Amino acid sequence: MSQYFQEYITVGAFAAVGVLLVLAILGVASVIRPSNPTPAKKLTYECGVDPVGSGWSQTYVRYYIFGLLFVIFDVEAVFIFPWAIHAEALGIGGVIAIVLFMLTLVEGLVYAIKKGVLAWE
Amino acid sequence: MTFAQVLTPPSVGWIAIAPEIVLGVGAALILLFDVQYKPKRTHLGLATAAIVATAFAFAIVQYDRVQTLSQATADQAADFVATAFPFDAMIVLDANAVFGRFAMLLVTGLGLAAGWRLFERLGARAAEGLALMLLSATGFMFMASSTHLMMVFLGLEVGSIALYVLAGITRERTESDEAAIKYFLLGSVASAVFIYGVALTYAGSGSMNLLEIQGVLARNIFTRPAVLLIGIALMVVGMGFKVSAAPFHSWAPDVYQGAPGGIVGYMAAAAKIGGFAALIRILFTAFPDFISTWGPLVAGIAALSMLLGSTVALVQDDIRRMLGYSGVAHAGFILTGVVAGGAGTGEVWFYLGVYTVQLVGAFGVVAAVTGAATSGAGIDAFRGLSKRAPFLAATFTVLLLGMAGLPLTSGFVAKFGVFTEAWQAGYEWLVIVAVLASVIAFFFYLRVIVAMYMEEPVDEAVAPPGISVRASLALASLITIVIGIVPGPLLSLAGEASPL
Amino acid sequence: MLVNQFLIVAALLFAMGTYGLLVRRNTVMILLSVELMLNAVNINLVAFEAYLRTSEAIGQVFSLFVITIAAAEVGIGLAIVLMIFRNRQSANVDEYNLMKF
Repeated sequence: MSQYFQEYITVGAFAAVGVLLVLAILGVASVIRPSNPTPAKKLTYECGVDPVGSGWSQTYVRYYIFGLLFVIFDVEAVFIFPWAIHAEALGIGGVIAIVLFMLTLVEGLVYAIKKGVLAWE
Repeated sequence: MTFAQVLTPPSVGWIAIAPEIVLGVGAALILLFDVQYKPKRTHLGLATAAIVATAFAFAIVQYDRVQTLSQATADQAADFVATAFPFDAMIVLDANAVFGRFAMLLVTGLGLAAGWRLFERLGARAAEGLALMLLSATGFMFMASSTHLMMVFLGLEVGSIALYVLAGITRERTESDEAAIKYFLLGSVASAVFIYGVALTYAGSGSMNLLEIQGVLARNIFTRPAVLLIGIALMVVGMGFKVSAAPFHSWAPDVYQGAPGGIVGYMAAAAKIGGFAALIRILFTAFPDFISTWGPLVAGIAALSMLLGSTVALVQDDIRRMLGYSGVAHAGFILTGVVAGGAGTGEVWFYLGVYTVQLVGAFGVVAAVTGAATSGAGIDAFRGLSKRAPFLAATFTVLLLGMAGLPLTSGFVAKFGVFTEAWQAGYEWLVIVAVLASVIAFFFYLRVIVAMYMEEPVDEAVAPPGISVRASLALASLITIVIGIVPGPLLSLAGEASPL
Repeated sequence: MLVNQFLIVAALLFAMGTYGLLVRRNTVMILLSVELMLNAVNINLVAFEAYLRTSEAIGQVFSLFVITIAAAEVGIGLAIVLMIFRNRQSANVDEYNLMKF
């Protein structure tokens, strides 16, 4: 057994303790509480509103364009974090580079707004 | 670090990526300008042409710089490294990169002019098409000039993603969106295969810089050799997809047939230039010591491409599909030059340069005859074309004969060059296959020419092509003939184009 | 540090992606399969980086680029699928058969 796997023993121990704790609490609770189910009690609790229809439903297709823009801008932001960590060491060159990068993203956003894809009629 | 030091921007070798900057910024400005001021389409087209011309001017400046660099003396070594390998040696400024830019920008200009009617038909979306064209050119030019596998991948994706969209830009037509999805799915798989190869190469060499990889591998391999060899093979396969070499060609005929006619010539030519530029760079710079391993693989792909492309093209009734399969065959011919290793660089670039010009020209004729925003081009539309549109028939004949490799056309010099290199490298069997395939290929080019000149014309009148289309077709034919008669200057220019 | 497990996991993931690519009919599922292939590459890159410990950490940087490019690619892919769906009310790859050899 290598060092690599020994490090995972801690993780395994934590997982086991977590599972046991939940089982123990629910088990003790089911033993000591009274059991008296009614249809109203068996409903899925959703903020007091009765659930209607199935869980699957079609989403409005207009959300798609927002989702698409969100994914792209969200993921591109990943490049900003490595720069932020090393911002001091990279100096002004890094600032210029990241500003150029952000300007490119802003250009995409401006184009999207001007094209009217973000307008919700 | 003092405050003054922090505020001093590092000097970077802007000149090494000046053409790419011009194209990229130009594309961004065209989009913004279009959406704000709604200019006339003709003005947008002229602006795009001006951007391409500016980039070409910068490429000429780069060529001059490379000439100076090649005479650098030993005490200028530090200067040389800073100029030739800017951006932490991710980009290289050498004759190979500059020749790639020349070819790419020439194809972009010709493609823009030959396909101009498509952009007119696009209406309000013309600016999108033009910007995508410039962006894909930027990506493929980066592929020619990068010395780092990450830059190769980024260039590949920038170029390819723009091409996927261009394939489906006439979005109401089902053929066009089918071409786009086929190109997109197979292209993204090819990219995944390519970067899997990059990851394995990284495991074997501990670096992604092509020059460093070569240095490390000359001493030792970090993993078992098999891992590295699979990595090289996967990268070749990924690039094989992009240049539509068999057996990875299945997308090419469909895309060439389905994509809008005005852009398809540019798409085909640009992907070929980018793919081969990166393939040359990767194989010749990073793995010259492994030529005995990748040589047979590339030779096998080349032989299969030539035979399959030529024979299947014989039975096609759609000119665009025929040109697609002939593109597969031509990928094989170019790979015939690649098996020779670094010695064949000049011949490969020469072939690429003359073939892509013919390709853009030929698809330009097809678009002028059967429409710039439609799919498909049945051979019936070309029957008796010499009587209906003599200029188009004449240019098409020249370009097809050039592709067939008839003597006194540029295609002949190009084929002769790559065959000689392969023969000298000891691949006699491959040259025999290649000559055989050239003979087969001659028949389907001849079939179109016979249909144009010997058969009765159909009633459909051909709309007279615009001035830009006529100019670009005349230029492409002129290049084909002039280079065929006086190949010397281009041969020596391409001969310099070996990677540093 | 053991690198073989990661190589095997990545190879399996890549193979699963390839399998999904070949047998799935729905274009969106095919896109997901391509994502699996790209993620297999990411696992490889990060594992090799941890194994080799190069000074530039290029493996990790590359995996960031792969993630962002995968997002861009999927954006374009979904847009193309949506366009196809509008034109023919289906996203089934069997029906992309207007052009054949």
